Amino acid sequence: MIEVQHLTKRYGSLTAVDDISFRVEKGQILGFLGPNGAGKTTTMRVLTGYMPATEGTAIVAGYDVFQHPIEAKRRTGYLPETPPLYPEMTVREYLTFVSNLKLGSLPKPQRRQRVETAMEKTSISDMAARMCGKLSKGYRQRVGLAQALLHDPEVLILDEPTAGLDPKQIIEVRDLVRGLAGDHTVILSTHILPEVAQTCHRVVIINKGRVVAEDTPDNLTHQLKGSATLYVQVEGDASVQEVLAAVPGVNRVTVADQQGRYLGFEVEAAANRDVRRDVARAIVERGIGLLELRPNRMSLEEIFLQLTTEERDAKPEERADVRPEEAHGQQSA
Amino acid sequence: MANSLRNIGAIAGKELRGYFGSPIAWVMMGLFALVFGNFFNAYVDYFMRAAMQSQFGGPPPNQNVNNDMIRPLLAQASTLMLFLLPMVTMRTYSEEKRSGTIELLLTSPVTDVEIILGKFFGAVGLLLGLLAVTMVYIGVLFALSGPQWQPVLTGYIGLLLLGSSFLALGLFISSTTKNQMVAGAATFVVALLFWIINWFAEGAGPTFGPILSYLSITQHFEDFGKGVLDTKHIIYYLSFIAFGLFLTLKSVDSERWRG
Repeated sequence: MIEVQHLTKRYGSLTAVDDISFRVEKGQILGFLGPNGAGKTTTMRVLTGYMPATEGTAIVAGYDVFQHPIEAKRRTGYLPETPPLYPEMTVREYLTFVSNLKLGSLPKPQRRQRVETAMEKTSISDMAARMCGKLSKGYRQRVGLAQALLHDPEVLILDEPTAGLDPKQIIEVRDLVRGLAGDHTVILSTHILPEVAQTCHRVVIINKGRVVAEDTPDNLTHQLKGSATLYVQVEGDASVQEVLAAVPGVNRVTVADQQGRYLGFEVEAAANRDVRRDVARAIVERGIGLLELRPNRMSLEEIFLQLTTEERDAKPEERADVRPEEAHGQQSA
Repeated sequence: MANSLRNIGAIAGKELRGYFGSPIAWVMMGLFALVFGNFFNAYVDYFMRAAMQSQFGGPPPNQNVNNDMIRPLLAQASTLMLFLLPMVTMRTYSEEKRSGTIELLLTSPVTDVEIILGKFFGAVGLLLGLLAVTMVYIGVLFALSGPQWQPVLTGYIGLLLLGSSFLALGLFISSTTKNQMVAGAATFVVALLFWIINWFAEGAGPTFGPILSYLSITQHFEDFGKGVLDTKHIIYYLSFIAFGLFLTLKSVDSERWRG
Protein backbone atom coordinates (compact mmCIF):
# COMPACT_ATOMS: atom_id res chain seq x y z
CA MET A 1 0.00 0.00 0.00
CA ILE A 2 2.91 2.28 0.78
CA GLU A 3 6.28 1.62 -0.75
CA VAL A 4 9.28 3.83 -0.19
CA GLN A 5 12.47 3.11 -2.08
CA HIS A 6 15.84 4.73 -1.59
CA LEU A 7 14.28 7.97 -0.52
CA THR A 8 16.70 10.81 0.06
CA LYS A 9 15.91 14.39 0.96
CA ARG A 10 18.57 17.04 1.19
CA TYR A 11 18.11 20.62 2.29
CA GLY A 12 21.12 22.32 0.81
CA SER A 13 24.07 20.52 2.35
CA LEU A 14 21.98 18.96 5.13
CA THR A 15 20.75 15.45 4.47
CA ALA A 16 17.50 15.04 6.39
CA VAL A 17 16.57 11.65 5.00
CA ASP A 18 19.30 9.39 3.72
CA ASP A 19 18.37 6.51 1.41
CA ILE A 20 15.54 4.97 3.38
CA SER A 21 13.33 2.16 2.12
CA PHE A 22 10.38 0.47 3.76
CA ARG A 23 6.93 -0.78 2.92
CA VAL A 24 3.60 -1.00 4.66
CA GLU A 25 1.03 -3.63 3.78
CA LYS A 26 -2.62 -2.80 3.42
CA GLY A 27 -4.48 -2.43 6.69
CA GLN A 28 -1.37 -2.27 8.82
CA ILE A 29 -0.18 0.36 11.25
CA LEU A 30 3.44 1.31 10.94
CA GLY A 31 5.13 3.12 13.79
CA PHE A 32 7.76 5.59 12.82
CA LEU A 33 10.14 6.02 15.67
CA GLY A 34 13.09 8.29 16.10
CA PRO A 35 14.52 11.13 18.13
CA ASN A 36 13.66 14.68 17.18
CA GLY A 37 15.32 15.67 13.95
CA ALA A 38 15.70 12.09 12.76
CA GLY A 39 13.79 12.79 9.57
CA LYS A 40 10.34 11.49 10.52
CA THR A 41 8.46 14.63 9.56
CA THR A 42 10.45 15.05 6.37
CA THR A 43 9.67 11.50 5.28
CA MET A 44 5.99 12.06 6.00
CA ARG A 45 6.00 15.32 4.10
CA VAL A 46 7.45 13.56 1.09
CA LEU A 47 4.84 10.81 1.32
CA THR A 48 2.00 13.34 1.47
CA GLY A 49 3.30 15.26 -1.51
CA TYR A 50 4.04 18.35 0.56
CA MET A 51 7.59 18.36 -0.77
CA PRO A 52 9.42 16.39 -3.41
CA ALA A 53 12.27 14.05 -2.56
CA THR A 54 15.77 14.67 -3.81
CA GLU A 55 16.13 11.05 -4.87
CA GLY A 56 14.15 7.85 -4.69
CA THR A 57 10.52 6.97 -5.14
CA ALA A 58 7.45 6.76 -2.95
CA ILE A 59 4.30 4.96 -4.00
CA VAL A 60 1.19 5.61 -1.97
CA ALA A 61 -2.06 3.73 -2.67
CA GLY A 62 -0.73 2.66 -6.04
CA TYR A 63 0.31 6.11 -7.21
CA ASP A 64 3.76 7.57 -7.35
CA VAL A 65 3.61 10.75 -5.28
CA PHE A 66 5.88 12.60 -7.72
CA GLN A 67 4.31 11.42 -10.97
CA HIS A 68 0.65 11.54 -9.93
CA PRO A 69 0.50 13.80 -6.90
CA ILE A 70 -3.20 14.61 -7.17
CA GLU A 71 -4.26 10.96 -7.35
CA ALA A 72 -2.01 10.06 -4.43
CA LYS A 73 -3.25 13.01 -2.37
CA ARG A 74 -6.85 12.04 -3.03
CA ARG A 75 -6.15 8.76 -1.24
CA THR A 76 -4.09 10.13 1.62
CA GLY A 77 -5.13 11.77 4.86
CA TYR A 78 -2.47 13.73 6.66
CA LEU A 79 -2.31 15.11 10.16
CA PRO A 80 0.76 17.34 10.42
CA GLU A 81 2.58 17.92 13.67
CA THR A 82 0.54 21.05 14.33
CA PRO A 83 -3.05 20.54 13.22
CA PRO A 84 -3.58 22.88 10.23
CA LEU A 85 -6.58 24.80 11.57
CA TYR A 86 -7.87 28.24 10.64
CA PRO A 87 -8.49 29.93 14.00
CA GLU A 88 -11.29 32.17 12.75
CA MET A 89 -13.39 29.30 11.39
CA THR A 90 -15.76 27.17 13.40
CA VAL A 91 -15.09 23.44 13.45
CA ARG A 92 -17.95 22.77 11.04
CA GLU A 93 -16.92 25.59 8.68
CA TYR A 94 -13.39 24.29 8.70
CA LEU A 95 -14.35 20.71 7.94
CA THR A 96 -16.75 21.92 5.26
CA PHE A 97 -13.90 23.79 3.62
CA VAL A 98 -11.73 20.68 3.79
CA SER A 99 -14.55 18.63 2.28
CA ASN A 100 -14.81 21.15 -0.57
CA LEU A 101 -11.10 20.74 -1.20
CA LYS A 102 -10.95 16.98 -0.96
CA LEU A 103 -14.38 15.85 -2.04
CA GLY A 104 -15.33 18.58 -4.49
CA SER A 105 -16.87 16.12 -6.92
CA LEU A 106 -19.40 14.76 -4.41
CA PRO A 107 -22.84 16.37 -4.25
CA LYS A 108 -23.30 18.77 -1.38
CA PRO A 109 -25.56 16.66 0.90
CA GLN A 110 -23.06 13.82 0.78
CA ARG A 111 -20.21 16.16 1.58
CA ARG A 112 -22.17 17.44 4.54
CA GLN A 113 -22.76 13.87 5.63
CA ARG A 114 -19.02 13.16 5.51
CA VAL A 115 -18.35 16.16 7.73
CA GLU A 116 -20.84 14.91 10.30
CA THR A 117 -19.41 11.38 10.17
CA ALA A 118 -15.87 12.62 10.66
CA MET A 119 -16.97 14.70 13.64
CA GLU A 120 -18.74 11.70 15.17
CA LYS A 121 -15.74 9.43 14.66
CA THR A 122 -13.48 11.82 16.49
CA SER A 123 -16.20 12.81 19.02
CA ILE A 124 -16.11 16.53 18.32
CA SER A 125 -19.76 16.92 17.30
CA ASP A 126 -20.51 19.01 20.38
CA MET A 127 -17.73 21.41 19.37
CA ALA A 128 -19.04 21.92 15.83
CA ALA A 129 -20.00 25.55 16.38
CA ARG A 130 -16.82 26.50 18.27
CA MET A 131 -14.07 28.57 16.73
CA CYS A 132 -11.03 26.45 15.97
CA GLY A 133 -8.80 29.06 17.60
CA LYS A 134 -10.62 28.68 20.90
CA LEU A 135 -10.26 24.92 21.20
CA SER A 136 -8.05 23.13 23.70
CA LYS A 137 -5.01 21.25 22.45
CA GLY A 138 -6.81 17.93 22.66
CA TYR A 139 -9.72 19.11 20.58
CA ARG A 140 -7.45 20.74 18.02
CA GLN A 141 -5.72 17.44 17.59
CA ARG A 142 -9.04 15.71 17.11
CA VAL A 143 -10.25 18.29 14.59
CA GLY A 144 -6.97 17.71 12.77
CA LEU A 145 -7.67 14.00 12.83
CA ALA A 146 -11.23 14.57 11.60
CA GLN A 147 -9.76 16.57 8.73
CA ALA A 148 -7.42 13.70 7.85
CA LEU A 149 -10.23 11.13 7.99
CA LEU A 150 -12.81 13.20 6.21
CA HIS A 151 -12.42 11.75 2.72
CA ASP A 152 -12.10 8.21 4.06
CA PRO A 153 -8.58 7.85 2.63
CA GLU A 154 -6.87 4.52 2.06
CA VAL A 155 -3.71 5.82 3.64
CA LEU A 156 -3.42 7.87 6.81
CA ILE A 157 -0.24 9.63 7.77
CA LEU A 158 -0.23 10.94 11.29
CA ASP A 159 2.66 13.01 12.61
CA GLU A 160 2.71 12.58 16.37
CA PRO A 161 -1.04 12.27 16.78
CA THR A 162 -0.86 12.07 20.56
CA ALA A 163 1.60 14.89 21.19
CA GLY A 164 0.39 17.28 23.86
CA LEU A 165 -2.67 15.28 24.86
CA ASP A 166 -3.59 14.25 28.38
CA PRO A 167 -3.46 10.53 29.26
CA LYS A 168 -7.18 10.00 28.75
CA GLN A 169 -7.10 11.65 25.34
CA ILE A 170 -4.02 9.67 24.39
CA ILE A 171 -5.88 6.45 25.06
CA GLU A 172 -8.85 7.68 23.03
CA VAL A 173 -6.70 8.62 20.07
CA ARG A 174 -4.84 5.31 20.21
CA ASP A 175 -8.10 3.41 20.26
CA LEU A 176 -9.29 5.46 17.35
CA VAL A 177 -6.13 4.75 15.37
CA ARG A 178 -6.29 1.04 16.20
CA GLY A 179 -9.88 1.04 15.01
CA LEU A 180 -8.75 2.49 11.68
CA ALA A 181 -6.39 -0.38 10.90
CA GLY A 182 -7.83 -2.91 8.51
CA ASP A 183 -9.72 -0.43 6.36
CA HIS A 184 -6.91 2.07 6.36
CA THR A 185 -3.18 1.80 6.15
CA VAL A 186 -1.62 4.00 8.77
CA ILE A 187 1.81 5.48 9.34
CA LEU A 188 2.20 7.26 12.62
CA SER A 189 5.27 8.87 14.06
CA THR A 190 5.92 9.21 17.71
CA HIS A 191 8.62 9.32 20.27
CA ILE A 192 6.44 7.74 22.92
CA LEU A 193 7.54 4.13 22.86
CA PRO A 194 4.73 2.30 24.64
CA GLU A 195 2.50 3.81 21.99
CA VAL A 196 4.31 1.88 19.31
CA ALA A 197 4.16 -1.36 21.27
CA GLN A 198 0.44 -0.89 21.82
CA THR A 199 -0.75 0.38 18.47
CA CYS A 200 1.60 -0.66 15.72
CA HIS A 201 2.04 -3.84 13.72
CA ARG A 202 5.46 -2.85 12.56
CA VAL A 203 8.09 -0.41 13.71
CA VAL A 204 10.64 1.50 11.70
CA ILE A 205 13.27 3.15 13.84
CA ILE A 206 15.10 5.93 12.10
CA ASN A 207 17.97 8.01 13.28
CA LYS A 208 19.81 10.77 11.45
CA GLY A 209 17.81 10.04 8.35
CA ARG A 210 18.61 6.34 8.18
CA VAL A 211 16.56 3.29 9.02
CA VAL A 212 18.32 1.57 11.90
CA ALA A 213 15.76 -1.16 12.53
CA GLU A 214 12.54 -2.43 11.04
CA ASP A 215 10.43 -5.21 12.52
CA THR A 216 7.42 -5.98 14.66
CA PRO A 217 7.57 -4.53 18.17
CA ASP A 218 7.78 -8.07 19.63
CA ASN A 219 10.57 -9.20 17.37
CA LEU A 220 12.52 -6.08 18.07
CA THR A 221 12.44 -6.67 21.79
CA HIS A 222 13.46 -10.32 21.32
CA GLN A 223 16.03 -9.83 18.65
CA LEU A 224 17.89 -7.13 20.42
CA LYS A 225 17.83 -8.76 23.80
CA GLY A 226 21.34 -10.06 23.19
CA SER A 227 22.27 -12.85 25.55
CA ALA A 228 19.54 -13.70 28.01
CA THR A 229 19.99 -11.98 31.34
CA LEU A 230 18.18 -12.40 34.62
CA TYR A 231 17.71 -9.95 37.38
CA VAL A 232 17.97 -11.58 40.80
CA GLN A 233 17.40 -9.85 44.08
CA VAL A 234 18.34 -11.60 47.32
CA GLU A 235 18.73 -10.88 50.99
CA GLY A 236 22.33 -11.72 51.76
CA ASP A 237 25.90 -10.60 51.24
CA ALA A 238 28.41 -10.39 48.43
CA SER A 239 29.23 -14.10 48.70
CA VAL A 240 25.99 -14.81 46.85
CA GLN A 241 27.75 -13.66 43.72
CA GLU A 242 30.00 -16.72 43.81
CA VAL A 243 27.05 -18.98 44.43
CA LEU A 244 25.36 -17.63 41.35
CA ALA A 245 28.49 -17.79 39.25
CA ALA A 246 28.83 -21.49 40.12
CA VAL A 247 25.45 -22.36 38.60
CA PRO A 248 25.97 -24.27 35.36
CA GLY A 249 25.17 -22.23 32.28
CA VAL A 250 25.84 -18.88 33.93
CA ASN A 251 28.50 -16.89 32.16
CA ARG A 252 28.78 -13.79 34.23
CA VAL A 253 27.36 -12.22 37.35
CA THR A 254 27.54 -8.57 38.19
CA VAL A 255 26.24 -6.63 41.16
CA ALA A 256 23.53 -4.39 39.87
CA ASP A 257 22.35 -2.60 42.98
CA GLN A 258 22.53 -2.76 46.73
CA GLN A 259 20.23 -1.40 49.36
CA GLY A 260 21.36 -2.46 52.84
CA ARG A 261 21.07 -6.23 52.87
CA TYR A 262 19.10 -6.36 49.65
CA LEU A 263 21.38 -7.18 46.79
CA GLY A 264 20.50 -7.15 43.13
CA PHE A 265 22.46 -9.19 40.58
CA GLU A 266 22.61 -9.23 36.87
CA VAL A 267 22.98 -12.84 35.76
CA GLU A 268 24.05 -13.45 32.23
CA ALA A 269 23.36 -16.91 30.89
CA ALA A 270 24.76 -18.65 27.88
CA ALA A 271 22.68 -18.22 24.78
CA ASN A 272 19.47 -20.27 24.60
CA ARG A 273 19.78 -21.63 28.12
CA ASP A 274 17.10 -21.12 30.67
CA VAL A 275 18.93 -21.01 33.97
CA ARG A 276 16.06 -19.74 36.08
CA ARG A 277 15.31 -23.04 37.82
CA ASP A 278 18.95 -23.74 38.61
CA VAL A 279 19.57 -20.26 39.86
CA ALA A 280 16.52 -20.37 42.13
CA ARG A 281 17.47 -23.80 43.48
CA ALA A 282 21.05 -22.77 44.19
CA ILE A 283 19.90 -19.75 46.16
CA VAL A 284 17.19 -21.50 48.14
CA GLU A 285 19.38 -24.51 48.95
CA ARG A 286 21.83 -22.24 50.67
CA GLY A 287 19.13 -20.66 52.77
CA ILE A 288 19.48 -17.28 51.14
CA GLY A 289 16.31 -15.21 50.93
CA LEU A 290 15.18 -14.96 47.28
CA LEU A 291 13.21 -11.76 46.80
CA GLU A 292 12.95 -11.39 43.07
CA LEU A 293 13.85 -13.30 39.94
CA ARG A 294 12.86 -12.16 36.51
CA PRO A 295 14.12 -12.14 32.95
CA ASN A 296 15.76 -8.83 32.21
CA ARG A 297 14.22 -8.21 28.82
CA MET A 298 15.04 -4.96 27.13
CA SER A 299 12.20 -2.57 26.88
CA LEU A 300 11.60 -0.69 23.65
CA GLU A 301 13.09 2.37 25.27
CA GLU A 302 16.41 0.67 25.75
CA ILE A 303 16.41 -0.70 22.24
CA PHE A 304 15.61 2.72 21.00
CA LEU A 305 18.35 4.36 23.00
CA GLN A 306 20.75 1.67 22.00
CA LEU A 307 19.97 2.12 18.35
CA THR A 308 19.90 5.85 18.28
CA THR A 309 22.69 6.93 20.59
CA GLU A 310 26.21 7.47 19.42
CA GLU A 311 27.63 4.39 21.13
CA ARG A 312 25.33 2.03 19.31
CA ASP A 313 28.30 0.01 18.11
CA ALA A 314 29.26 -0.72 21.70
CA LYS A 315 30.16 -4.25 22.71
CA PRO A 316 27.34 -6.55 23.79
CA GLU A 317 28.55 -6.69 27.41
CA GLU A 318 28.05 -3.00 27.77
CA ARG A 319 24.64 -3.31 26.33
CA ALA A 320 23.58 -5.54 29.22
CA ASP A 321 24.75 -2.99 31.75
CA VAL A 322 21.34 -1.49 32.06
CA ARG A 323 20.64 -0.42 35.56
CA PRO A 324 17.74 -2.41 36.95
CA GLU A 325 16.00 0.57 38.55
CA GLU A 326 15.59 2.01 35.11
CA ALA A 327 14.38 -1.25 33.69
CA HIS A 328 11.93 -1.37 36.56
CA GLY A 329 10.53 2.05 35.94
CA GLN A 330 10.16 1.48 32.26
CA GLN A 331 8.37 -1.78 32.58
CA SER A 332 5.79 -0.40 34.88
CA ALA A 333 5.36 2.65 32.67
CA MET B 1 -11.69 22.13 -15.98
CA ALA B 2 -14.88 22.01 -13.93
CA ASN B 3 -12.78 20.43 -11.23
CA SER B 4 -10.27 23.25 -11.28
CA LEU B 5 -12.95 25.91 -11.13
CA ARG B 6 -14.51 24.18 -8.15
CA ASN B 7 -11.20 24.03 -6.32
CA ILE B 8 -10.42 27.65 -7.11
CA GLY B 9 -13.89 28.57 -5.90
CA ALA B 10 -13.44 26.63 -2.66
CA ILE B 11 -10.19 28.44 -1.89
CA ALA B 12 -11.47 31.85 -2.97
CA GLY B 13 -14.52 31.32 -0.77
CA LYS B 14 -12.34 30.42 2.18
CA GLU B 15 -10.19 33.50 1.62
CA LEU B 16 -13.25 35.74 1.52
CA ARG B 17 -14.63 34.17 4.69
CA GLY B 18 -11.22 34.77 6.23
CA TYR B 19 -11.36 38.46 5.31
CA PHE B 20 -14.93 39.03 6.39
CA GLY B 21 -14.81 36.71 9.38
CA SER B 22 -12.01 38.76 10.88
CA PRO B 23 -11.96 42.52 11.42
CA ILE B 24 -9.56 43.11 8.53
CA ALA B 25 -12.14 43.51 5.76
CA TRP B 26 -14.44 45.66 7.87
CA VAL B 27 -11.67 47.89 9.17
CA MET B 28 -10.43 48.35 5.64
CA MET B 29 -13.84 49.15 4.25
CA GLY B 30 -14.48 51.54 7.12
CA LEU B 31 -11.17 53.26 6.52
CA PHE B 32 -11.85 53.40 2.81
CA ALA B 33 -15.31 54.88 3.41
CA LEU B 34 -13.92 57.44 5.84
CA VAL B 35 -11.05 58.70 3.71
CA PHE B 36 -12.93 58.48 0.44
CA GLY B 37 -15.89 60.26 2.06
CA ASN B 38 -13.55 63.00 3.13
CA PHE B 39 -12.29 63.47 -0.42
CA PHE B 40 -15.85 63.35 -1.67
CA ASN B 41 -16.86 66.05 0.74
CA ALA B 42 -13.94 68.25 -0.29
CA TYR B 43 -14.72 67.89 -3.98
CA VAL B 44 -18.42 68.58 -3.49
CA ASP B 45 -17.53 71.64 -1.47
CA TYR B 46 -15.12 72.90 -4.10
CA PHE B 47 -17.56 72.17 -6.89
CA MET B 48 -20.36 74.06 -5.12
CA ARG B 49 -18.19 77.07 -4.43
CA ALA B 50 -17.07 77.24 -8.07
CA ALA B 51 -20.69 77.01 -9.19
CA MET B 52 -21.69 79.74 -6.76
CA GLN B 53 -18.92 82.04 -7.95
CA SER B 54 -20.03 81.69 -11.54
CA GLN B 55 -23.57 82.65 -10.51
CA PHE B 56 -22.32 85.89 -8.96
CA GLY B 57 -20.68 87.17 -12.11
CA GLY B 58 -17.59 85.00 -12.21
CA PRO B 59 -16.36 83.25 -15.32
CA PRO B 60 -19.02 81.28 -17.18
CA PRO B 61 -19.63 77.83 -15.73
CA ASN B 62 -17.45 75.27 -17.39
CA GLN B 63 -18.11 72.57 -14.89
CA ASN B 64 -18.66 68.94 -15.45
CA VAL B 65 -19.43 66.33 -12.79
CA ASN B 66 -17.48 63.68 -14.66
CA ASN B 67 -14.34 65.72 -15.12
CA ASP B 68 -14.33 67.73 -11.95
CA MET B 69 -15.56 65.19 -9.45
CA ILE B 70 -15.70 61.59 -10.54
CA ARG B 71 -12.36 61.47 -12.31
CA PRO B 72 -10.31 62.99 -9.49
CA LEU B 73 -12.26 60.95 -6.96
CA LEU B 74 -11.42 57.69 -8.71
CA ALA B 75 -7.80 58.80 -8.92
CA GLN B 76 -7.91 59.32 -5.15
CA ALA B 77 -9.36 55.86 -4.75
CA SER B 78 -6.36 54.47 -6.63
CA THR B 79 -4.03 56.23 -4.20
CA LEU B 80 -5.95 54.75 -1.30
CA MET B 81 -5.54 51.32 -2.80
CA LEU B 82 -1.79 51.78 -2.87
CA PHE B 83 -1.88 52.06 0.90
CA LEU B 84 -4.60 49.55 1.70
CA LEU B 85 -4.12 46.64 -0.65
CA PRO B 86 -0.71 45.58 0.72
CA MET B 87 -2.63 44.94 3.94
CA VAL B 88 -5.01 42.63 2.10
CA THR B 89 -2.40 40.35 0.63
CA MET B 90 0.22 40.48 3.35
CA ARG B 91 -1.32 37.61 5.27
CA THR B 92 -2.42 35.38 2.39
CA TYR B 93 0.64 33.17 2.25
CA SER B 94 2.63 34.39 5.23
CA GLU B 95 -0.10 33.51 7.69
CA GLU B 96 -0.65 30.06 6.20
CA LYS B 97 3.05 29.39 6.41
CA ARG B 98 3.33 30.65 9.95
CA SER B 99 0.35 28.70 11.27
CA GLY B 100 1.09 25.54 9.26
CA THR B 101 -2.23 25.54 7.39
CA ILE B 102 -0.19 25.63 4.19
CA GLU B 103 0.39 21.93 4.86
CA LEU B 104 -3.32 21.31 4.49
CA LEU B 105 -3.47 23.13 1.16
CA LEU B 106 -0.33 21.58 -0.27
CA THR B 107 -1.33 18.04 0.70
CA SER B 108 -4.91 18.36 -0.56
CA PRO B 109 -5.73 17.13 -4.05
CA VAL B 110 -5.49 20.60 -5.57
CA THR B 111 -2.75 22.04 -7.75
CA ASP B 112 -0.54 24.99 -6.87
CA VAL B 113 -2.09 27.01 -9.68
CA GLU B 114 -5.57 26.40 -8.25
CA ILE B 115 -4.41 27.51 -4.80
CA ILE B 116 -2.82 30.68 -6.16
CA LEU B 117 -5.77 31.60 -8.36
CA GLY B 118 -8.15 30.88 -5.47
CA LYS B 119 -6.21 33.22 -3.22
CA PHE B 120 -5.97 35.83 -5.93
CA PHE B 121 -9.69 35.84 -6.72
CA GLY B 122 -10.52 35.85 -3.02
CA ALA B 123 -8.49 39.04 -2.66
CA VAL B 124 -10.13 40.46 -5.78
CA GLY B 125 -13.45 39.78 -4.08
CA LEU B 126 -12.42 42.01 -1.20
CA LEU B 127 -11.23 44.62 -3.69
CA LEU B 128 -14.70 44.58 -5.24
CA GLY B 129 -16.10 45.16 -1.76
CA LEU B 130 -13.85 48.20 -1.34
CA LEU B 131 -14.91 49.53 -4.74
CA ALA B 132 -18.54 48.98 -3.78
CA VAL B 133 -18.01 51.38 -0.89
CA THR B 134 -16.99 54.13 -3.31
CA MET B 135 -20.00 53.38 -5.50
CA VAL B 136 -22.22 54.63 -2.71
CA TYR B 137 -20.71 58.11 -3.07
CA ILE B 138 -20.68 58.03 -6.85
CA GLY B 139 -24.30 56.85 -6.67
CA VAL B 140 -25.17 60.04 -4.80
CA LEU B 141 -23.78 62.05 -7.73
CA PHE B 142 -25.89 60.03 -10.14
CA ALA B 143 -28.94 60.66 -8.01
CA LEU B 144 -28.42 64.42 -7.84
CA SER B 145 -27.04 65.16 -11.28
CA GLY B 146 -26.62 63.41 -14.59
CA PRO B 147 -23.02 62.45 -15.19
CA GLN B 148 -22.13 60.24 -18.10
CA TRP B 149 -21.93 56.64 -17.00
CA GLN B 150 -19.39 55.40 -19.58
CA PRO B 151 -16.31 57.12 -18.10
CA VAL B 152 -17.42 55.96 -14.67
CA LEU B 153 -17.55 52.37 -15.87
CA THR B 154 -14.13 52.54 -17.54
CA GLY B 155 -12.78 54.24 -14.44
CA TYR B 156 -13.93 51.33 -12.32
CA ILE B 157 -12.49 48.81 -14.77
CA GLY B 158 -9.20 50.70 -14.46
CA LEU B 159 -9.37 50.62 -10.68
CA LEU B 160 -10.10 46.93 -10.71
CA LEU B 161 -7.13 46.21 -12.99
CA LEU B 162 -4.82 48.50 -11.03
CA GLY B 163 -5.92 47.00 -7.72
CA SER B 164 -5.60 43.45 -9.03
CA SER B 165 -2.05 44.24 -10.11
CA PHE B 166 -1.22 45.29 -6.55
CA LEU B 167 -2.85 42.12 -5.27
CA ALA B 168 -0.83 39.89 -7.60
CA LEU B 169 2.32 41.68 -6.53
CA GLY B 170 1.36 41.35 -2.86
CA LEU B 171 0.55 37.68 -3.25
CA PHE B 172 4.02 37.04 -4.63
CA ILE B 173 5.76 38.96 -1.87
CA SER B 174 3.63 37.25 0.77
CA SER B 175 4.66 33.86 -0.60
CA THR B 176 8.30 34.65 0.07
CA THR B 177 8.10 35.28 3.81
CA LYS B 178 6.56 33.96 7.00
CA ASN B 179 6.34 37.43 8.48
CA GLN B 180 3.23 39.27 7.39
CA MET B 181 4.54 42.67 8.51
CA VAL B 182 7.54 42.26 6.26
CA ALA B 183 5.25 41.12 3.44
CA GLY B 184 3.00 44.16 3.87
CA ALA B 185 5.84 46.67 4.06
CA ALA B 186 7.71 45.17 1.11
CA THR B 187 4.57 45.09 -1.01
CA PHE B 188 3.95 48.75 -0.25
CA VAL B 189 7.51 49.72 -1.13
CA VAL B 190 7.53 47.82 -4.42
CA ALA B 191 4.06 49.10 -5.33
CA LEU B 192 5.21 52.63 -4.54
CA LEU B 193 8.21 52.12 -6.77
CA PHE B 194 5.94 51.23 -9.70
CA TRP B 195 3.82 54.22 -8.75
CA ILE B 196 6.61 56.78 -8.98
CA ILE B 197 8.88 55.13 -11.51
CA ASN B 198 7.94 57.63 -14.22
CA TRP B 199 9.42 60.43 -12.09
CA PHE B 200 12.79 59.12 -13.12
CA ALA B 201 11.82 58.78 -16.75
CA GLU B 202 12.91 62.29 -17.76
CA GLY B 203 16.40 61.96 -16.35
CA ALA B 204 16.89 58.46 -17.69
CA GLY B 205 17.72 59.42 -21.24
CA PRO B 206 16.10 58.50 -24.55
CA THR B 207 16.54 54.75 -24.20
CA PHE B 208 15.44 54.06 -20.65
CA GLY B 209 13.09 56.99 -20.27
CA PRO B 210 10.23 55.49 -22.30
CA ILE B 211 10.75 52.11 -20.66
CA LEU B 212 10.47 53.56 -17.17
CA SER B 213 7.50 55.58 -18.19
CA TYR B 214 5.86 52.52 -19.69
CA LEU B 215 6.41 50.57 -16.47
CA SER B 216 4.64 53.19 -14.41
CA ILE B 217 1.49 51.72 -12.98
CA THR B 218 -0.26 55.11 -12.71
CA GLN B 219 0.33 56.34 -16.25
CA HIS B 220 -1.69 53.45 -17.61
CA PHE B 221 -4.55 54.34 -15.32
CA GLU B 222 -5.11 57.86 -16.64
CA ASP B 223 -6.90 56.92 -19.82
CA PHE B 224 -9.39 54.76 -17.96
CA GLY B 225 -10.44 57.83 -15.96
CA LYS B 226 -11.07 59.74 -19.18
CA GLY B 227 -13.40 57.06 -20.42
CA VAL B 228 -10.94 55.52 -22.85
CA LEU B 229 -10.53 51.76 -22.99
CA ASP B 230 -7.19 51.19 -24.64
CA THR B 231 -6.00 47.62 -25.14
CA LYS B 232 -2.43 48.81 -24.56
CA HIS B 233 -3.27 49.62 -20.96
CA ILE B 234 -5.40 46.55 -20.43
CA ILE B 235 -2.56 44.39 -21.69
CA TYR B 236 -0.13 46.18 -19.36
CA TYR B 237 -2.23 45.40 -16.31
CA LEU B 238 -3.08 41.87 -17.37
CA SER B 239 0.56 41.06 -17.97
CA PHE B 240 1.47 42.65 -14.64
CA ILE B 241 -1.06 40.37 -12.94
CA ALA B 242 0.01 37.29 -14.89
CA PHE B 243 3.65 37.94 -14.10
CA GLY B 244 2.91 38.41 -10.41
CA LEU B 245 0.96 35.17 -10.24
CA PHE B 246 3.65 33.39 -12.23
CA LEU B 247 6.29 34.53 -9.75
CA THR B 248 4.06 33.36 -6.91
CA LEU B 249 3.86 29.93 -8.53
CA LYS B 250 7.63 29.79 -8.87
CA SER B 251 8.10 30.93 -5.29
CA VAL B 252 5.69 28.31 -3.91
CA ASP B 253 7.36 25.67 -6.03
CA SER B 254 10.87 26.55 -4.93
CA GLU B 255 9.68 26.66 -1.33
CA ARG B 256 8.59 23.05 -1.76
CA TRP B 257 12.03 22.01 -2.86
CA ARG B 258 13.79 23.90 -0.12
CA GLY B 259 11.32 22.69 2.49
